[in-house]
Amino acid sequence: MEVAQLVLNGVMAGTVLAVPAIGLTAIFAVLRFTNFALASHMTIGAFAGFVANTTFGLPIVPSLATAFLVSGFFGWMSDEFVLRRLRASGFVTTAIGSIALTIALENFVRFGFGNQMRGYDLPLRRDWVIQGLRVSPQQVENLAIAVVVVALLFAFLALTRTGKAMRAVADNPMLASIKGINSDTVARLVSFIAMGLAGLGGMLTGLDTTIDPLVGFRTILSVFAAAVVGGLGSIPGAVVGALVVGIGEELSLLFLTPAYRTAVGFLAILLVLTLRPRGILGQRAY
Amino acid sequence: MEHYLVAMGVTAGIYAIMALGMNVIWGMAGLINLGLVGFFAVGAYASGLLTLKLGWPIVAGVAAGAVAASLVGVAVALITVRLRGDYLAIVTLGFAETMRIVMSNELWIANGTDGLSGIPGPFRQALGPHGFNLLFLGIVVAATALLFFLFQRLDNSPFGRVLRGIREDEQVVQVAGKNVVMFKVKAFAVGTAALGMAGALYGHFTSYIAPDLFAPLLTLYIKLSLLAGGLGNNIGAVVGAVLVVFFLESTRFIVPFIPEISAVQGAALREILIAVALLLILRTRARGLIPERLAQVRIPPSVPASLSLKP
Amino acid sequence: MKRLSRRTVLKSAAAATAALAYPFQVQAQAEPLRVGILTPLTGAGGNDGPRMLKAMQAVFDEVNKSGAFGRKIEITVEDDQTNPEAAVRAARKLIEVNKVSVIMGTWASAVTAAVAPVCWESKTFIMTVSGADPITLLPHQGFLVRTQPNSRLQGTAHGEFVASLGAKRLGIIGIQAPFAIPTKEYLEAVMKAKGGAVVSHVIYEKDKSTYRSEIDQVMREKPDFLYLNGYAPDTVVVLRDLYRANINLGKFCQSYAVPQATLDTIPPEVSEGVMTGQPSADVEGSAYKSACDRLGLKEIDGYVAQATDWASLAVLTVAKAGAATGVALKDTVRKVSQGGGTKVYTAVEGLKALAAGKEINYEGASGPCDFNEIGDISGCRFRYMKVAKGKLEFLKLV
Repeated sequence: MEVAQLVLNGVMAGTVLAVPAIGLTAIFAVLRFTNFALASHMTIGAFAGFVANTTFGLPIVPSLATAFLVSGFFGWMSDEFVLRRLRASGFVTTAIGSIALTIALENFVRFGFGNQMRGYDLPLRRDWVIQGLRVSPQQVENLAIAVVVVALLFAFLALTRTGKAMRAVADNPMLASIKGINSDTVARLVSFIAMGLAGLGGMLTGLDTTIDPLVGFRTILSVFAAAVVGGLGSIPGAVVGALVVGIGEELSLLFLTPAYRTAVGFLAILLVLTLRPRGILGQRAY
Repeated sequence: MEHYLVAMGVTAGIYAIMALGMNVIWGMAGLINLGLVGFFAVGAYASGLLTLKLGWPIVAGVAAGAVAASLVGVAVALITVRLRGDYLAIVTLGFAETMRIVMSNELWIANGTDGLSGIPGPFRQALGPHGFNLLFLGIVVAATALLFFLFQRLDNSPFGRVLRGIREDEQVVQVAGKNVVMFKVKAFAVGTAALGMAGALYGHFTSYIAPDLFAPLLTLYIKLSLLAGGLGNNIGAVVGAVLVVFFLESTRFIVPFIPEISAVQGAALREILIAVALLLILRTRARGLIPERLAQVRIPPSVPASLSLKP
Repeated sequence: MKRLSRRTVLKSAAAATAALAYPFQVQAQAEPLRVGILTPLTGAGGNDGPRMLKAMQAVFDEVNKSGAFGRKIEITVEDDQTNPEAAVRAARKLIEVNKVSVIMGTWASAVTAAVAPVCWESKTFIMTVSGADPITLLPHQGFLVRTQPNSRLQGTAHGEFVASLGAKRLGIIGIQAPFAIPTKEYLEAVMKAKGGAVVSHVIYEKDKSTYRSEIDQVMREKPDFLYLNGYAPDTVVVLRDLYRANINLGKFCQSYAVPQATLDTIPPEVSEGVMTGQPSADVEGSAYKSACDRLGLKEIDGYVAQATDWASLAVLTVAKAGAATGVALKDTVRKVSQGGGTKVYTAVEGLKALAAGKEINYEGASGPCDFNEIGDISGCRFRYMKVAKGKLEFLKLV
């Protein structure tokens, strides 16, 4: 019973992680660097959703859409004006540059909103109890949202022309450019979508907690763990990785104190990478 | 003001030692280590505990700190050496976080989140704060100079050239019959020893260490030092470290002149300034202020110079 | 030469701003009181630092306006970034460049423990809220006072309060911090003495977005009351998860974790019935009320109250000592904070009493502010509040 509840908690925690983890892995698949600016984009999304929800009184779904669009826009712009120019100097410079960028953006939010904690104007519902297991309606909704987003993303990658172009670039940039696919356009698009997902993930996290400028920073390590465990560059991998990290952290409570949760996430990484150096689902983008 | 500059000089020196160590791992061998603070912590705790609890002399403590960090470095390298760069980055980041979590929760090792206080410093009582800072500046400058000299030798040795080879193309080095894994582990051993030494010196300088100290921010500052100064060369590492400390500190004096902002906005602005300045350096001088000088391949002239000079 | 001239420029600029800000200031000959406010404005403490900063500035403004001090107050604010390494750099700048004689506002225990040696070595006074017991045991030679009750005082008082509500089986859930284990031990001792027990104790990681499983863990031993020992961000998550799990036990939170501003961010049904307590002075004392009025708030939390008291004590001590140095603060602070003098509740009131040649005893918003030889408060009352419909309501003073 206890194990079942832990697994359930892990699944729900994992699904929220999956959304930004997909963003991280998508950027890696196409642009070949780990983008630490994901943290600040989660924060930007959380705050954009907050403004939409409390200032303009929008309900949850349009607020989430706002979170996606605003952080996506910031992602596009930050790629256009900052990261794109660093990419020529290699993936490490770009990754380190993205850390500096995330500090700048986090403080941009702090400059505008201050440090005080804020909460969405949404009612909190009691858990459902099914067969002795507790499930939170909010987290079921989060799960549904995450599933819908992943499904949409897959449909986009599999069915649309642009999606196919993105996959082509991820598979083989050289070949893609010979075929006349504009890699700059693909880079812009992937930055927009990935950082939009980060923002969405930031707001989903915020719905469960409260938000302040550190909301992204607090979750970023688990997001990274998820993307790496699943295999950097693989979108289904990010989903699997998020579930592995989510459930793993919960199950660790059976034999470790909760103070070691993050450490368990990294233990999971080491274990997976020792067995499969490229993560659970290797590195194909889709 | 001059006392403040001395204290910041010590900070810059400790940053420079870390940057030099990092340069061996990252700059020369091209291995990405985001777990810098973890090794810094090992050095600081080892030296702090040995001098405080067992009464070791400070010099022995610092040496032990460097050795301890180096041993942990070898262990981490052996576990991670087969991972690709991006995976290595995240695993080492996880290592540092795990270190911090363990030191916070295992109270029996070093008081957990209370930290270790009263770590001895050389002649701290006798010299008074200003004299002590000056002495420590001397020590740190000497340590930096020593490491600089050693790493400069290393850089120009066959060992350094192999590391560069691994950085540029691992397979070529492998084909040339070198044991790539062994070289990577050695690079980690040397680099993390310097990180541990920096940690130990920091502990003896400030007299206090705690898990909170080992936050990822410090790793970022050192990475930025290297990128700003010029990755892959020791002068760049030292110059970059000094530059980063100068930047961190000088923003304190600029922000108060901006009118109409709250203290929180000022603090946010200060961090924005630091981040933007470093992004600008990365963008305009991708190879740092002092780019690495790669040995030019000398193509022997068709007529040997010694011959042609003969009358 | 160049360095000298820049220093002069900086100094005169600072003086100019001060003069602009306080045009009514009596231009006295006396050396100014130079205050360094070193508090978290970014990082994990960023939620609490700005509140404390505002409280300190409000007191200094009031003192300046009254014209009763006879000295200029030069305030320099630095961000400690909730990081000991950054905080030490900032403290050195405050001490060596701004020549402050007192540093106030450090929050994280690791930050205070790192900054304290820099302070006592350069004879600078330091006032803090950091609760870790070892801090006052440092060899600070009297240069440190702490207004936050130590774990013994706080754990014992909170334990007695919780027991008085009828709790027999106490569950503790909180972050890993220097105060975590000692607080648990003192709560345990009190509960035992009252015929109850601490039945479970869970330490969680502070940055997680859900604590469902941790709550299940603490509930396994069927406690009848919960003691939440965390800071605001994680306490809010615990409260939300408790509500969702439909666990309706009595709950006690630290006052700094649930100030009114934080309560405003969560639905009122989540915080309904939460108890909180903070150090306080006597009922008849007007210090708490004055501090609330000064900031335009209905209730203030323990950190804001303590920040108010540091600023007031610094001003009064300097007025009493007739010198604005760290050594004067160290030697004289107990002459205005305790003893048989006239009780005063605000800085301005105290300055007037001092001017009239009276001995004073400052009774603050966070307690009587009587310090023992190691700089801990020797005792205080506790002010308990309960949350009803999302608002803090006064319950009782013990």
